[in-house]
Amino acid sequence: MDAILDIQNLCKRYGDHVAVDDISFSVPRGSVYGLLGPNGAGKTTTIRMVMRIIASDSGTVLLDGQPVNDDRRRIIGYLPEERGLYKKMKVLEHLVYLGTIRGIRPGEAKKRAAAWLERFDLAEWATNKVEDLSKGMQQKIQFIGTILHRPPLLILDEPFSGLDPINTRALKDLLQEMASEGVTIVLSTHVLPQVDELCSDICLINRARPILLGSLESIREDYGGNTWRVQSDLPENELAALPGVTSVHPLGDERLLELEDGSEARDLLRALVDRSQVESFTRFKPDLENIFIRAVEEDKAHD
Amino acid sequence: MINRILAVIRREYLERVRTKAFWISTILVPIFLGAVMIVPAWLAARGGGEFSVAVLDLSGRFFDPVRDEVGRLLSGDDEKLSVTLHSQEPGPSVEATRERLKNEVQNKVFDGLLVIPSTMPDEGQPEYVAPNVAAFKLLTVIERSVNNVMVADRLTGAGLDPEAVRELTRRVGLNTLKLGKDGEETSDQGQTFMLAYVFMMIIYMTVLMYGIYVMRGVLEEKSSHVIEVIVSTVKPFELMLGKILGIGAVGLTQFLIWSLLMAAISAPGAVAALGISGMELPAVPAQLLFFFVVYFVLGFLLYGTLYAGIGAAFDTEQEAQNFQGVVTMFLIVPLVLMMQILNQPDGTLSVVLSLIPFFTPMLMFLRMTLTQVPPIQLAASVVLMLGAILFCTWIVAKIYRVGILMHGSKPKFKDLVRWVREA
Repeated sequence: MDAILDIQNLCKRYGDHVAVDDISFSVPRGSVYGLLGPNGAGKTTTIRMVMRIIASDSGTVLLDGQPVNDDRRRIIGYLPEERGLYKKMKVLEHLVYLGTIRGIRPGEAKKRAAAWLERFDLAEWATNKVEDLSKGMQQKIQFIGTILHRPPLLILDEPFSGLDPINTRALKDLLQEMASEGVTIVLSTHVLPQVDELCSDICLINRARPILLGSLESIREDYGGNTWRVQSDLPENELAALPGVTSVHPLGDERLLELEDGSEARDLLRALVDRSQVESFTRFKPDLENIFIRAVEEDKAHD
Repeated sequence: MINRILAVIRREYLERVRTKAFWISTILVPIFLGAVMIVPAWLAARGGGEFSVAVLDLSGRFFDPVRDEVGRLLSGDDEKLSVTLHSQEPGPSVEATRERLKNEVQNKVFDGLLVIPSTMPDEGQPEYVAPNVAAFKLLTVIERSVNNVMVADRLTGAGLDPEAVRELTRRVGLNTLKLGKDGEETSDQGQTFMLAYVFMMIIYMTVLMYGIYVMRGVLEEKSSHVIEVIVSTVKPFELMLGKILGIGAVGLTQFLIWSLLMAAISAPGAVAALGISGMELPAVPAQLLFFFVVYFVLGFLLYGTLYAGIGAAFDTEQEAQNFQGVVTMFLIVPLVLMMQILNQPDGTLSVVLSLIPFFTPMLMFLRMTLTQVPPIQLAASVVLMLGAILFCTWIVAKIYRVGILMHGSKPKFKDLVRWVREA
């Protein structure tokens, strides 16, 4: 696998608190990689170590196969969770500044920034101060600043927080467009439905450790496997006693029935129909949230 | 790296030079200093005019001598002050006449009323009634005339010759000369000192002002959360350095504008055009100007670095207040120690104090204006300051690196020590 970003055994502790506990994962080039997990799981700390904003206690970060350093990290377009701009600066000048500290010539930065402002319908605000703009507009400026130097790798920490549905949609479209152009995108978020349709690969972090990682497709297969969604009036203990059923999980009004390998679904359906009123019976295709909840539960069960 | 630091310097510089606050302070400071230096001179020169004063001489014998004395005092004066004395008859009631004359002063028939009691010169005091006793020069002339006449009268009464006494008691005065480097003597009536004092205050004010700008700049980056975007590209040390250098450049720009203004005012013809004849702006020796800039730059780098560290360690100016106060105190100490330097510019204590890097910019500069500071001491002061700047930068850079990403709890001194140790 050609990994643009390879994280190996990264650790960080603050006093007695372990923020990141031996995290390793690889981001395939050209993928949209979801770095997922609940708040406080260690996602932001991991990203900050990748960006060398804080030092890791141990571990390696390889960028294009080489250890990341202060110069090499500049190929990353980084949108931090805590966003901010110089409020008194003019919009266009601010973008040019963000471009120049990332190594673009001021003239070129100005040209690109103006084009992006045009695309985001913000051209008329170019000479206004940042503080004159609405929150949503400032978010857009922030995003333009992140991609102005045409980074081959984007790391976005909670990119959709604070965006209204329309802007969320617009950002998703833009990210999909960039991904189709070959840009690798790492999305960190705890709001899973937002990235379900975007991610090709994920790393699920819980309590400072990765508990699930790989391509989303294979994970879905693993978790979906021989699992069926059933809505019937049969109580849970009777469902569990049906032939081939290994486990039962509640899912809203429905139940998820996991069958042992080789067990046929039609046998199960037949047994169900014999004993109860079946409202629905479908193959289970887990979404990220289902996978996440189950993975976290299994992680808890390990202790 | 250089390009990034330059980009930071450029931003810090332009963002400040473009503010109204910069231009207002650039223009107000010279106006304020000009007012302090020029207005008194202008007021003093402005004593001219024609005045008529009524004199009620109850002794009957002092009017003529006083009038002659006024004439004598004004004869050597080139400032267009002319005073005419009008003798008034006491009439039947002295009180009534006095009241009438007072009314006439009130109605501007006369500018003032001088009453000489009949008991003079042995007892009593002459009185002077005027709507405006602040007409300083007129008042001085009248007081000196009456005084001279009365003293002369007493001397004559004691059998002495007033002319001879005046000759014998003539003031000697003291001609103060400052010995220069090459042994040349220059006459100095304190203008150099006044100027040095003003310059020292400018160093104090600008180092404090620009130091606090640095602190506010760092605080702003923290509170607006822009800091994380920046340090994902620029190293914290580069950012700190760029910020300090950029803001320092703003200070130098301000000095440049002030120098140009001063040069314009000192240009031949400009003084006359302003109507301040007889007033001389003291010339500033080039060496002094050079060290003024040197000590401002060094002082700003030292204090600016410390203020940057304070800004990084705290979230708000309120939280930073205690530490800010400590640093500002270092800047105020030289003002308190100024008398020591003035009394003994070459004393051991003065030399030692002026070599302490935190005090050097002001105290060494002050000593330079008062005495011939040996070049070795000047060199030592610059070396010591550079050392202190490097040391403080080394310490502060560590605090800065940790502090700029810290939010929430207010750090204590021991936390700062821990940051320095761990960084």
